[in-house]
Order: sequence, then C-alpha cells, then structure tokens
Amino acid sequence: MPPSESSPADVDLSVQLGRLALPNPILVASGTFGYAREMEQLVDLDRLGGIIPKTITRLPRPGNAPWRTVEASSGLLNSIGLDNDGIDAFLEHHLPYLARLQSPLIVSIAGRSHDEFVAMAAKLAGFSGIDAVELNISCPNVSGGVDFGTDPELCGKLVAGVRGSCDLPILAKLTPNVTSIASIAEAAAAAGADALSLINTVLGMAVDWRQRRPLLGNVLGGLSGPAIKPIALRCVYQVSQAVDIPLVGIGGIATIDDVMEFLVAGASAVQIGTANYYDPAVSMKLLDQLPAAVASLEATRVASVVGSLQRADAPPAAPPASSAT
Amino acid sequence: MSNPLHARHYADRAVQQTVEVVENVKLAVDTYRVRFRCPDMAQRIVPGQFLMLKLSDLTDPLIGRPLALYDTAASGAGAGDVDAVDVVYLVKGKLTSRLAGFRPGQRLDVWGPLGNGFAQQATDHLIMVAGGIGQTPFVALANEALGRRRYGDMTREVARAGRVTLCYGARRADLLAGIEDFERAGVDVKIATDDGSRGYHGLVTDLLKQTLDEAGEDRRIVCCGPEPMMEAVAGVAAGSGTACQVSLETPMACGIGICFTCVAKIRDIDGEWDYKRTCVDGPVFDAASIVW
Repeated sequence: MPPSESSPADVDLSVQLGRLALPNPILVASGTFGYAREMEQLVDLDRLGGIIPKTITRLPRPGNAPWRTVEASSGLLNSIGLDNDGIDAFLEHHLPYLARLQSPLIVSIAGRSHDEFVAMAAKLAGFSGIDAVELNISCPNVSGGVDFGTDPELCGKLVAGVRGSCDLPILAKLTPNVTSIASIAEAAAAAGADALSLINTVLGMAVDWRQRRPLLGNVLGGLSGPAIKPIALRCVYQVSQAVDIPLVGIGGIATIDDVMEFLVAGASAVQIGTANYYDPAVSMKLLDQLPAAVASLEATRVASVVGSLQRADAPPAAPPASSAT
Repeated sequence: MSNPLHARHYADRAVQQTVEVVENVKLAVDTYRVRFRCPDMAQRIVPGQFLMLKLSDLTDPLIGRPLALYDTAASGAGAGDVDAVDVVYLVKGKLTSRLAGFRPGQRLDVWGPLGNGFAQQATDHLIMVAGGIGQTPFVALANEALGRRRYGDMTREVARAGRVTLCYGARRADLLAGIEDFERAGVDVKIATDDGSRGYHGLVTDLLKQTLDEAGEDRRIVCCGPEPMMEAVAGVAAGSGTACQVSLETPMACGIGICFTCVAKIRDIDGEWDYKRTCVDGPVFDAASIVW
C-alpha cells in the first residue's frame, strides 16, 4: 500500500475560524434552518459543524408581505424580510434549546445602525452557550443593515465596534451585490473579523407579465440555490486572494462535490442554505461523504485541502503516488 | 412548559425518503392521483396533514411542493398492509407538468407527514366546502368521520359525524375530480360550476347556504380552496354561528418551518395578528382566527 494513501476513518475534520474551533466544516446557514428545533426529527443536530439560527434583530419584525419566495431556474428568490421575534425573545425562548446542542452556536444579528449592532453583540456576550456572532450586513430584503456590507469604511468601523463590545469570535457575512467584494472583505479583516461568510443572496426579481406585477411581495428579492454557486465560488476565490483570515463558503452548496470545490477554492468551512429546504437531511449526507472525499485527495485533514487550488498557469500538481503505479 | 415561540406542529413524526411511483392516474382535466410506496408515512399520516414532494435528482424544478393527503392504500407489495400514500394534484407549473408524465418505478423525494390535520370534533353534520383542487384533503376526512377507514396510530381518537355533505365548486364539469371517491365513502355530494356545465350554476357558497338552511344545529364546516372562496365561506360560517376550519393553500418552500415562506396573518387570543407559518402552525386553522 502506498505510504501516502489516507483512510477516510482517519481524516481530521476539525477546522479553525480565527478564535472559533469547529468539529467539522459543515454548517447550516442563517434563515435556512429556522431555530434548529424544527429540524430535530430529520437531522442529528449534534453532528453539525455549526448552527446559525435565523437572523435576529433588536426589536421584533413581522417580515415582508407574501409572496415571500418564488422559484427560479435551479434557484429560489426570497424576500422574507427578517421575520423574527427580536433578540430578547430569542435569548429567552430559543437560546436554552440551542445551547443544549453539541454543535457550536453562531448567532446571526442584523442591526439598523452601528450602535444597534454593537449593543446586540454586547448583549449576546453576556450569555453562555453562544460560540460566535455572525454579522448579517448583507440581507438584501431590509433597509439599513446592508449599507455596512457595501461600504468598506462603514464595514470596518462596524467590525471594530463589535470587536470592542463583545469578546465572541466574529464572522461578517458579506453581500455579492457590490463592485468589489474583496475591498469590503479587506476592511472587515483589518478591523478584526475572525472569519468572513461568503455570500448572502444575489439581488433579483420575478415578474408575472400577464398580471403585470412583481411576484414577490417586496418586489425585489435575493436569489439562492445552485444557480448562484459559481458566483459564490468566485467570491470565495477573489477574497481568498485578498485577505488572510478564514472564509466560510455559502451559495448553492448541496452535494459533496460542491463542498470540496469551496474548500479547494479557499473556504475553511461551508454553510448549507437553500438545500435544507428541498433535501432536509442534506447536511447529514454531506457529513457522511466528507471523509472519503478528503481522503481521495491524499489528505488527512480538511484544513490541508483548504485553498489548495492550482491555477492553470501554475506548475501542475504532482500526481498522487497511488496513481503512479 | 410550552414555549411561546415554538410552533405547535413541528415535523416530529416525519420521514424523508426517496420513493417509487406505484401508479399515476388521470382523474379529470389536468388532475392526477399519484400513489407512492412509503410504509412509514402511510401508517402515520392523518386527514388534513400534508407532505412535501420533489422530483428526485433534479435542480430544476428545485423546490418541493406541498400536497395534502388524499388517501392511503395498499400497494400490493406489502402483503395487503396499508403502505402507500395517494396525493391528487392539479397540473399548474414546472413540477406538476413533469409529474403528470411520471410512470410506475420513477422516483420522488418525499418528506412528511407534516402539519396539524383537522381537529377532532364530533358532529351530527359535517359540511365540507371545496373549491378548485381544494377537495383533496376531504376524502380521507370523510372516510374517517363516517367510520369507513382509520388513519395514523390505531390508538388515536377519531371524532365521528352523523352525516357528511360535500359542497364542491369548480369552473367546469371536466375539472371535477374524485367525486366517486366521496360517493363511495357515503358523502352527499353537491356540485356547483361557474359555467353551469354540471350541478348548480353559480357559487359554491350558495350551496353551502342551502345546506346550512336544511341542517340541524349540531353542524361543522371544513373548507379548502382559493382564498376569496375560503374568506366567503368563513363569512357565511360566522354569520350562521357555525364552527369552521379552513385548510390554507399558501405557497411553501420547505414544509417544515425553516424558511418562513408560507406565512398567513393569524389572530392571537388578544385579537392581534402575527404572521404564522402555515406548515408548522397549520395548515388547518380555525376560520375565525384568520385575518383575510
């Protein structure tokens, strides 16, 4: 047996996102997994690399008027509008359940202002059972917060402000709806973000031409699902060239090939989003398949696959020893 | 004890499986009944509950569709046991157009049972009001209320009805589907069509009013169909002092409470409304709780 052959059983799945250690790189994305309790029967919640519950805001929000989602080719447009009961209700009624789970808990927050983000993060830091905070500065369906994801200066100030008010690891979730995602990423990294989550949905629209009306209640919405995977991969790759902090890939990930593509392109972990809707057990299937996929690259650690992309203009990788015989 | 932010009907008895089509038969214009073998689901699902159905291995169409339990059946593969689920669908879009061409052996992804089902309340006279494809949840309910079939756990309590009337409205006679299934169950079927091609020429709410005029005091209404029709039925029910449950047909993306697509405005006991997820708080609601 060639010495470099690795066994799936021996693959180290753990990854590190700055100060946040994860048991494996398969996470579930905010807004696509409810508050986890919904999935108790269909998913072994304790196996997940991390759970990011639906984004919370300071005050309750009813969300947008229906229709809230419309299917597109291999994708889904949504304008849910951060329907949630507010941070206090979350801490009282959802956190006790989430904190009991083995999986790391990353709480996604969206503020309408700098001060609101900072105050929410500071409040979370006072509760046990929360492992990190994800700043949703990229939701296309609400006014306010998205400015922090489109302006590098505001973004940097926000991450620095949260860093100053909260000792939890910080992930900043960025929008692809910008001219240069790398410049936003650089600002977040320089301000002390532990990791960047890439990407939130791509702004889109659907029209009923017969009725001459938009299909979404909020007119515009965010596109997710397999349709946006190439955009998300591009963003991960571009940002990996610009910053040195870990990245979390999001966007149309539904198969083990998708997961491996994001890891190789530069993501240390991935979040499963829309696939949870149409294949509720998808995260478990990916966890089952991941060790063999990593081992097939002659790797013994997920972390050693991350960012291992070989550019076409670079010298070719050495062929694996096992195939040389 | 109970968590005020938790929905009442999470998918705690659901299974997710890839299943094979047993049969897929046409019932009416653009209307089909598909039967698939899924013993776990067939033995758990109860009237008023639904399941999500997706075409396997495709990303276009991507999202599953919610479909109400029509009936359960024995596929013939399982020694005569009830092991299959029937759903009836109207061909409307990308998924249902493709599904209409499915043959036995082709694969579907399904997850369920989901949602709450109809509340169990005994009555002398159960009046079902259906519009369009809204008759689909009522065959199983009629079978159960009239004591012909049981669904779900054998220990489950079932409320009986002395008699069952179906007021069923459609645009045209050739869209009416499954009438013989209701008649076989012992249901008194009253038809209304928009064009008069069968039964009463006019609105199904007129049939409901006639039925209420002739009905005794101990009666209940269940309703499913297009929203304007359900709103009208809810109004007739309230005006006549008749308890009414409606099964909402809101668009859904997941069916299990994680996407927050399928919300409807539901009043709480204080009269304030909040958006509730039809999938995990419904799909069956007390008509009086809905803000139309």
